[in-house]
Amino acid sequence: MTPYLLSLLRTSGADAWELTETRTEGWEFYFIRHALDQHRVRNVTHTSVRVYKKSEDGAFLGSASSEIHESATEEETRELLSRLLFQASLVRNPVYTLNEPRPVEPLQLDLPDISSMARDFMEAMQQIPETAGESINSYEIFVHLRTRHFMNSNGIDLTETSPDSMIEVVVNARAEEHEIELYRAYTSGTCSKDDLIRDLTDTLRFGRDRLHTVPTPPLSTAPVILSTSAAVDVYRYFAERMGAAMKYRRLSDWEIGQKVCDANLTLEAVRTLPNSSGNHAFDPEGAPVRDLLLIENGTARAFWGSEQYAGYLGLKDAFIAENFRVSGGTQDADALRTGNYLEVVEFSDFQVNSMTGDIAGEIRLGYWHEGDRTTIVSGGSVSGNMRETPLSFSKETRQYDTCLIPSVTRLETMHITGIDPA
Amino acid sequence: MNAPFSSYLQSIAPCMKQVISLLGASFDYVSILSTDSVGWRIAIGQRSKAVTNSTMTTERGCVIRVCRDGLYGEYAFNHFDPEHPEQIAQDAMAAFRAQRELLSLTGTRPYATPALPDEPCDLFTEFPVQELPETTDQEALIERFSRLSDLAMEKGEHLIECQVTAQSTHISKMFLSAHRDLRQSYVYSEGSIVPIAFHEGKNVYTHVSVAGREGPEIFAALEGKLDESLEIIHDLLRAERIVPGEYDVITSPEVTGLIAHEAFGHGVEMDMFVKHRALGSSYIGKRVGSDLVTMHEGAKCAVNVTSYAFDDEGTLAGDVTEIDHGILRTGICDALSALRLGTQPTGNGKRQNFEHKVYTRMTNTLFDSGTSSLEEMIRSVSHGYLLRGMQSGMEDPKHWGIQCIVERGYEIVDGRLTGRVVSPLIMTGYVPDLLGSVSMLSSDREVFGSGGCGKGYKEWVKVADGGPCLKTRARLG
Repeated sequence: MTPYLLSLLRTSGADAWELTETRTEGWEFYFIRHALDQHRVRNVTHTSVRVYKKSEDGAFLGSASSEIHESATEEETRELLSRLLFQASLVRNPVYTLNEPRPVEPLQLDLPDISSMARDFMEAMQQIPETAGESINSYEIFVHLRTRHFMNSNGIDLTETSPDSMIEVVVNARAEEHEIELYRAYTSGTCSKDDLIRDLTDTLRFGRDRLHTVPTPPLSTAPVILSTSAAVDVYRYFAERMGAAMKYRRLSDWEIGQKVCDANLTLEAVRTLPNSSGNHAFDPEGAPVRDLLLIENGTARAFWGSEQYAGYLGLKDAFIAENFRVSGGTQDADALRTGNYLEVVEFSDFQVNSMTGDIAGEIRLGYWHEGDRTTIVSGGSVSGNMRETPLSFSKETRQYDTCLIPSVTRLETMHITGIDPA
Repeated sequence: MNAPFSSYLQSIAPCMKQVISLLGASFDYVSILSTDSVGWRIAIGQRSKAVTNSTMTTERGCVIRVCRDGLYGEYAFNHFDPEHPEQIAQDAMAAFRAQRELLSLTGTRPYATPALPDEPCDLFTEFPVQELPETTDQEALIERFSRLSDLAMEKGEHLIECQVTAQSTHISKMFLSAHRDLRQSYVYSEGSIVPIAFHEGKNVYTHVSVAGREGPEIFAALEGKLDESLEIIHDLLRAERIVPGEYDVITSPEVTGLIAHEAFGHGVEMDMFVKHRALGSSYIGKRVGSDLVTMHEGAKCAVNVTSYAFDDEGTLAGDVTEIDHGILRTGICDALSALRLGTQPTGNGKRQNFEHKVYTRMTNTLFDSGTSSLEEMIRSVSHGYLLRGMQSGMEDPKHWGIQCIVERGYEIVDGRLTGRVVSPLIMTGYVPDLLGSVSMLSSDREVFGSGGCGKGYKEWVKVADGGPCLKTRARLG
């Protein structure tokens, strides 16, 4: 569709435009236990356009976007572009400029075929050390190869093919009549076979423990340790508040040079992480992706964001970041696990609200460490606020797809709603 | 007028019927769902404005479902020549063949399931609508939303932004198989006001909304919601943190809806029964709530954003009584799960879009009303909270835990609201305890259709939920 659409765009009267065509080859396999529930293929192409129109006085720039379906006729496409131009003329945003062509260094991705990607997941799932007491309930495998072609009216013309995957796994553990489940979802570029097997082996152990929990006691406040993927949300709070969109819309009051974290936290946007599904040479608007220091030793250093909001903040060479790396921990993981603390390894849905800083999550499995005694607990909830709770984290790190973060995170003053045995 | 069915889908119907016929020679079952849904979303704030012609449910594409030797497969596609159905059939066959080679290599065995019944049925439904999204005067809407956002900034306390968002989608879907030809179209719309305040280092925001199986005319009701949203901001700015503990609570209809959705809605999605992932399967016919609790689910039990005529598997819409006076009667079921469980599908087989698999999903999930007034309910509480505003929730069908993030609680002491507000709140508990302690229900009922629902952390679909005010006992933190 692209050449024909390009000619229509160039003669449409738009002051600027962007065009993204994404071809997806996707394979999916759904298992109940280890029997195949169903298999699926996706063979789709999506083409989206955004057109821009300046106001007559040149003070405002509006845009409107739409998908142009593969099956659209020429007449339908012309009508749609005309409607987009009208819609864009109704939108009055301050003027900004689209990305200009800049050198983009392609990523050296080793692209497997889609069958091999799927096979790696299927074989990994056969290697999980299940027992009579702990087993795989069900899993869903999604593998994709996506080819993204981006063009804009400033002359950017970039193409990239990249893999992305997801596996959702439900684990059961049982003792006599009592059975519990734990849920895991892993995203990655291709299958990180060893990491997947290791993490699911840990999950089976958590499952065994969950069979023997007691209700979380009412603790009022206590330090909370996070050592699983829930901790990613703690660091996303910092990454999102350093986003140009939050800053421009005044949802983040952080300033460059301001101390935004009492801990020695350093946060970087990085171009690549091993086997991350967020590894791209250029962002969705055609800007080259690079490494960028956002927070250094707790002090804000740079914002990141889209061409619109970066433009409003006057940022140079900005881009939309997908991979983040956190460092700066000064203690070993074991040193953080001291005193009385609650280590929660399974929440129903842990959340950190980047706008308000509110933290909340129902405890599905935790370990309450009190002196030399450890009690396995479930039920109740953890709550608090990022602005109020001191944060510390380990030197050791662990990667969760697009985020490399400290392997252990400690939130010092969290409210624990427990269950009074009375 | 009625929402007109897609002329594009009409045009490709002969091609799809031909594909079904071609594939029918090789498979025990073949069906095709084709979609063509158009819409737009407008977001107007003080600092940025946006218009897009994409919403959560806009799409155009097809998905073929086949079954052979007990194994089901699907092929989703959107790039084809309707003049050449044989090419579509060949592409699908090649894709299935490639996957079956991998299954053979890995020694994968199927979860053997019979072919779906294909009872004859013809249906053509265009639901009534006042205004279509395709013909809306967007210029007037944008002006109106801009004025609303400006008015909020003038009247609001410590506001830094007020975003007004509206989206409207015209759905057209066509389900074809050898013996079924179902076509439907309807329009649903949803709009919201989101004021955001900043004061003394603290950000607060809220979300008030309108939604329904209606056209863009529904957005006229947003004006009437502005003062309510600003009062909520005022309350949130002065809110305190709750002392964690177990309290008597009265839930407003939207919190009641969240409980319905998370507590039992997900818990009786019967694809989870097939996987033994839901405790509900062993509680059919047993007590799960107080005698006051009756709960319905189905596309036909209310008119809201997901009130369709048939689901994404070609099953006609239903209305299921899940809980009848505290006794769990049945769940909801997609067609494939029904076949595996030996039961009937309920019209709850839904896809995020044509590219996604069908799961059992909710439509309208509602508690029935009671006989009390809200005032009577407040008077009955010695120390507790009136809970208003929902933010999010998470299901736990296997263990019947519940997590609801509630926006705010209004303290009640000795049967009176004290004026003290607490926020935010995380409400947790064990579902049978929560429903078992329901002691009063108000005589009114509201249904809410803004937002979406995921299965786990993916597969987002539109749902609606609600009910009356409900008095129960819950753990708040």
